[in-house]
Amino acid sequence: MLSLFPDSLSWMRVVTLSKENVGYFRMTSTGDIDSPEERANANSELMRRMASGDRDALAELYDALSRPLYSTARHILKDASEAQDVVHDVFLTLWKNASTFDSSRGAAFSWAVTLTRNRSIDRLRTRANRARLLGNSVPDDLGYGSENEMLGADARVDLGDRAVAVRSALAELPKEQQQALELAFFSGLTQREISEKLSEPIGTVKARIRRGLLKLRDALANRL
Amino acid sequence: MIDERIEDLAASDALGMLEGADLEQFTAELTRSPELQRLTAQLRQAATALAHMAPIAEPPAELRARVLASASSLGLDPGLPAALRLDGRMVPFRSWIPWLVAACIAVAAMWPERLYVRAESENVSLRERQRVAQLALEQTRAQLGDARRLLTQSGRQIAELSANLKAEGDLAHLKIATLASMLGNSPAALAVAVWDPTREEGVLAVSRLPALASEKDYQLWVIDKQYSSPVSGGVFVVDPATGEAHIVFKADKPVHSIAKFAVSLERKGGVPKPEGPIVLLSD
Repeated sequence: MLSLFPDSLSWMRVVTLSKENVGYFRMTSTGDIDSPEERANANSELMRRMASGDRDALAELYDALSRPLYSTARHILKDASEAQDVVHDVFLTLWKNASTFDSSRGAAFSWAVTLTRNRSIDRLRTRANRARLLGNSVPDDLGYGSENEMLGADARVDLGDRAVAVRSALAELPKEQQQALELAFFSGLTQREISEKLSEPIGTVKARIRRGLLKLRDALANRL
Repeated sequence: MIDERIEDLAASDALGMLEGADLEQFTAELTRSPELQRLTAQLRQAATALAHMAPIAEPPAELRARVLASASSLGLDPGLPAALRLDGRMVPFRSWIPWLVAACIAVAAMWPERLYVRAESENVSLRERQRVAQLALEQTRAQLGDARRLLTQSGRQIAELSANLKAEGDLAHLKIATLASMLGNSPAALAVAVWDPTREEGVLAVSRLPALASEKDYQLWVIDKQYSSPVSGGVFVVDPATGEAHIVFKADKPVHSIAKFAVSLERKGGVPKPEGPIVLLSD
């Protein structure tokens, strides 16, 4: 349940992985490529500066993370305005709780993604509970790639390296495992709801999620 | 070695989907298994990477300014006062005064910004509530439309049902009887009589009765137990070619409870009481 991830503690549930684990690359303005570890360290340093009240550090962290966070929120909520509200709240949470951040327990990016996903899904469920609108909120086709034209060329280069690695790894998974992971991460549905949506036994859904996530872990570790 | 059941739980945990007894079991296993702790960390990290699957969207430029303005209005992190301790050494109160004055000035300077941020926040909240209300209104309108359509449809169905019930009711009180042949030479002769007690009128359909000589008639009889002898329903002849006849008849006397119908062979014009042989008789 998402409620198990209180905002101030959820980053503790995500552990930073070193060389054997997953990360991503970023093309810098000078053409250099940060390693995942360097990027994690840079973000940790920004969090440390934020803890001492450095607004510039918050601005830098925003510049580094806002696109993937906004993309995630928008993809879950299918609503630009609500996605902006979520990203706004997430960065304020990071700002308010920066002093509790411990880089040995988790990466800032992971914390931020967890906050973004949890809050987006909470809104999705609130929306559904309020007006029974979930039917419009969870489309059958999650539509990956349909919004990329909104981004400038520089941004595509910057985010593309990270996204391409993940998407390439996902492309190697069997289709049914891809589908199960996509629904599990973005739809806000429970495993039982996913099993009903896919007309598959819940045990099958759980197995697909497990196998897909294990393969994704291995593929990303080899790729990045 | 971690079995598949626990791996399932770890994968569900990584996606924030654990609940109830599964969560309790997983938490207990996680506490005592370093191997599971490693797997869990890896799966959580892999799950986080799924965020990159989302189509890339550029946040609007004003969002950055909004975030920074809101952060400014919130002030410094609660952990900051610890920095004033200067590595555990307490600073004399007098030396705090300039800091307090600076803080007051800073707070005063930030007040308009705080008001702006608060107003903006309220505005966002109001927009959200308006949007939800709008959605609810649209949904209610749609439901109202559906309800009206349903009501109209139900009205039509009720009217149809009423008509059917009325027709069934009308049919229910009709007396319908089949008259079988009593003739040895025309065993296939047959008739159906339908009597409407409301209108005290009936219809008789006859087939395969033999044609008669000119001085003879078939005569229909209605047998009502209140009378000692049958009541005449009139005379008729059949088509010589087909043996068929269709007549609308009335009884000579008021009848209330018809027990049987009968057709007899009588002299031309009919008789008050049956005299000739019975050729058709109902059950």
